[in-house]
Amino acid sequence: MDSDGSKLETAERIILRWDSTASEEARGKMIFQSDRDEVDRFLRAVDEIQRSLSSTSISFASSSSSSAAAASAAVDDYEVKANSAIQIAMARLEDEFRSILLSHTTVFEPDSLFLEESSVSPSLTVEVGDDSTVTPTTDVAAEEEEINSPGGSGSGRLTRRRSSYRSTSSIREMDLIPPEAVSDLRSIVQRMVAAGYSRECIQVYGNVRKSAMETIFKQLGIVKISIGDVQRLDWEAVVGKIRQWIRAAKVCIRVVFSSEKRLCEQLFDGICIAMDETCFMETVKASALRLFTFPEAISISRRSPEKLFKILDLHDALTDMLPDIEAIFDSDSLDTIRAQAVEIQSRLADAARGILSEFENAVLREPSVVPVPGGTIHPLTRYVMNYIVMISDYKQTLDDLIMSNPSSGSDPNTPDMDFTELESKSPLDLHLIWLIVILHFNLEEKSHHYRDTSLAHIFIMNNIHYIVHKVKRSPELREMIGDHYLRKLTGIFRHAATNYQRATWVRVLNSLRDEGLHVSGSFSSGVSRSALRERFKAFNTMFEEVHRTQSTWSVPDAQLREELRISLSEHLIPAYRSFLGRFRGHIESGRHPENYLKYSVEDIETIVLDFFEGYTTPPHLRRR
Amino acid sequence: MRPAQDNQGSFLGRISIRRNQFVDVNNEQEQEDLELFQKHIADRFTELLSPPSQQPPSDETNTVASVAATDQIMSVTWLRKLMDVFLCCEAEFKAILLMGRDPTQISKPPFDRLVPEMLDRSIKALDICTAVVNGIDSVRHYQRLAEIAVAALEQRPLGDGNVRRAKRALANLVVALSLEDKENVSGGGGGGGGGNKTTERSWSFGRRSGGSSAASKGGATIGQLKSSSWSVGRNWSAAKQIHAMATNLTPPRGNEAAGLPQPMFIMSTVLVFVMWVLTAAVPCQERSGLANHLPVPPKHLNWAQSLIGIHEKIGDEWKKKEKKGSAGLMEEMTRMEKLGHSLIEFADGFHYPAEKDAAESATAQVAEMAEICRRMEEELVPLQQQIREVFHRIVRSRAEILEVLEQAGKLSAPVV
Repeated sequence: MDSDGSKLETAERIILRWDSTASEEARGKMIFQSDRDEVDRFLRAVDEIQRSLSSTSISFASSSSSSAAAASAAVDDYEVKANSAIQIAMARLEDEFRSILLSHTTVFEPDSLFLEESSVSPSLTVEVGDDSTVTPTTDVAAEEEEINSPGGSGSGRLTRRRSSYRSTSSIREMDLIPPEAVSDLRSIVQRMVAAGYSRECIQVYGNVRKSAMETIFKQLGIVKISIGDVQRLDWEAVVGKIRQWIRAAKVCIRVVFSSEKRLCEQLFDGICIAMDETCFMETVKASALRLFTFPEAISISRRSPEKLFKILDLHDALTDMLPDIEAIFDSDSLDTIRAQAVEIQSRLADAARGILSEFENAVLREPSVVPVPGGTIHPLTRYVMNYIVMISDYKQTLDDLIMSNPSSGSDPNTPDMDFTELESKSPLDLHLIWLIVILHFNLEEKSHHYRDTSLAHIFIMNNIHYIVHKVKRSPELREMIGDHYLRKLTGIFRHAATNYQRATWVRVLNSLRDEGLHVSGSFSSGVSRSALRERFKAFNTMFEEVHRTQSTWSVPDAQLREELRISLSEHLIPAYRSFLGRFRGHIESGRHPENYLKYSVEDIETIVLDFFEGYTTPPHLRRR
Repeated sequence: MRPAQDNQGSFLGRISIRRNQFVDVNNEQEQEDLELFQKHIADRFTELLSPPSQQPPSDETNTVASVAATDQIMSVTWLRKLMDVFLCCEAEFKAILLMGRDPTQISKPPFDRLVPEMLDRSIKALDICTAVVNGIDSVRHYQRLAEIAVAALEQRPLGDGNVRRAKRALANLVVALSLEDKENVSGGGGGGGGGNKTTERSWSFGRRSGGSSAASKGGATIGQLKSSSWSVGRNWSAAKQIHAMATNLTPPRGNEAAGLPQPMFIMSTVLVFVMWVLTAAVPCQERSGLANHLPVPPKHLNWAQSLIGIHEKIGDEWKKKEKKGSAGLMEEMTRMEKLGHSLIEFADGFHYPAEKDAAESATAQVAEMAEICRRMEEELVPLQQQIREVFHRIVRSRAEILEVLEQAGKLSAPVV
């Protein structure tokens, strides 16, 4: 007992020397920043007293009942004294613990993470190309240089570290606190837990890391923003924030949270059950809630078509991160964080579905009635087709999200669509086809507002041709729409071209027919000159009229324009040539032939080139 | 949380089925529904104001536990009941608003004004929910400090070391409880700035003075590093938020009083009220003048009687506390603060071995504190979950209303 007693007294003395409530000197210094020997002495002293406390309770329990009262009083006195020493030691260790934690809260450098993320792929290929023995450096390759005056005054200790992350496409843990500090911290945790001071330990840890986390959030650019604030932002501002959030969130989850989790494991694992979990939760719960406020706000914002693709970006980013979120927040106490992430993801999916259906509705009901001048491509067509091309870029995501077929035929005001021919198509494909169907439906409605039916046909031809052209230019989209429907569309614009020719040219060509020219019962010439003159006059007037109007019409696609001219020339030119050839003589032999023979075949060929050029004012006709 | 969602699913299912059944809700039916709704609101709040008296357990040894009725106003149990009441009211309201209703009706005046106002209120309520969930985290923090004190003071024999340990925790607790709101008030100008300041303070603390005064003052730092730094948004203010929710909230007049605007007004009043209670109960960002921001519904309205009663009780308490600065009116927190002060007094006068009388009264107080901690341990997390559920419910209802508005848009807009 004697040697034990003296050992205890020594231990007590060591502890009291560092009692900051009693000694001025102790208040100004930290044990772990001074001499390592003193650290060891202090920790051994704590262990000594702790050991004696547990052994007295055992001896107390085993002491005989007769002397129990006296023994228990003595034991009480001893225990009270030892407890007092333990309390002083623990208060000290708590401060030491806080101090070490605080001195390691500046090392995080998110900028480098971002920068290195972007320069990842090239270095990867170099690595694979250069070396046949590909060394998978999956773990963080952290070079640490410690600028540390050995044994010197601890306040000068500076830790700089450079960690290289090949990417943030998966979990990358980094050392938030260098290993030697971790082992100091762990030695404190062990004592505090053994003495029953784990609550204090958790408190200090949570407070320091929580505020460190706040600094990191600031560095990552994750700002405090309320759901109400997000609703008030312009969409353009939101777009920028979404991009920023995705980048920050990936680093936050895969590097920051995962590193926090590892730090908790390093410090607390194996010392006290579930303490690492508790500390991790303390540290990240509030910040995780804050991290998810932004996507939460986006997921409930009012829907509109322009939002679809950014919402999909956000959805994809969350989907991408979910396995990591589940791995990092795997304990029951962090169930709410996992649940929240999943909920937001599913709300974003709902939003995407809702937007698509609202978009379909908007396309169907787009109400503008003012005809586009010259029958060119309607802005709606351009908008819808660009939108559809974008959708095809997001095919992978949307294929998973869009699970039901479009609701055609439910409303008598909507076009019919027969899906039976398109059985092999996915719901998303069908939605795209459906979008084109209702776009066409709306365009047909709009075409009725043209007074000139020929122009209405040109309008349909142009727009449907544009749709086909857009589809064919994107291999992805072409695959989705499919050749079957594409053929149908091609048929539609060809048909419109034919209709145009019929509407415009049948009348003109009628003036070049033989019927009605021959005077009945006349054998000499057989042709009435006056009738012939009328025909030439009629042809000239009509042709000039068509030229006047149709040179202001527009067929923006050069090839289509060319084809259309060729096709109408194929009808017009031979008919005119033959008419002119057969009857020119009759006119030339009369008076003022120039009043009737205004255009040569070559003139007609040239003039046709003015058609569909979209001139604002029709060009003057060149006469020979 | 999961089962609650399942319920919700089936609830929605019911709506869609019934929607088809009630293609035509005639006026009489609607009147009946409205009256029933008002009656239910009145009943629910009456029960909250004066819960049916429970026989205290006959076992008198268990005195400490029965000191305060568990469902006293502003107790954590009562707050949980309040959340349930809100969820019930909300479900019933949504049924009235949407079930069997011609979608075009709620897009016409006066609903073209009332519905967007309501949706705007719901967004504000979401931010309050987040703030309150953060606030409850602060309460959990107090709970842990109190638990340290309890654990230390329950030690036998009780020595100086134990008492010092308890005192340290209690000092932190009392500082945290009284500073919370002042801190928020001062940081109100720029929430971020406030949080930053405390962080820096504790940093320079650790570096320069090497934790010198940590033993005595470290507690204050702990107290200040709390949810205020995890605020909802910069310049966000709970009081302003409540005020904004309430500004355009006026009882419907004339014809409107008999129709749908009435339940919309009632539900909005309930929403603002519940959010107001929550912000008063737990630490929350910037609450100065909170008591003045809740418009009291006209006293002649039957359904509002009990709600007004609760409002008056809490409002009086708030005005008393506001001057001192208080973390919140949650009953357990108020008692915790009182116990904290008196246990600090006990600790200040403590010399080993303890005087018998002082020790006995301290023992009772420790037991009460332990009971409070136990209750908090049991109920705070579920309360947080309920608030998240309220959050989700508001989100879902908002989505459903928007969907109906969209349908209305479809029906009313001409096809080309």
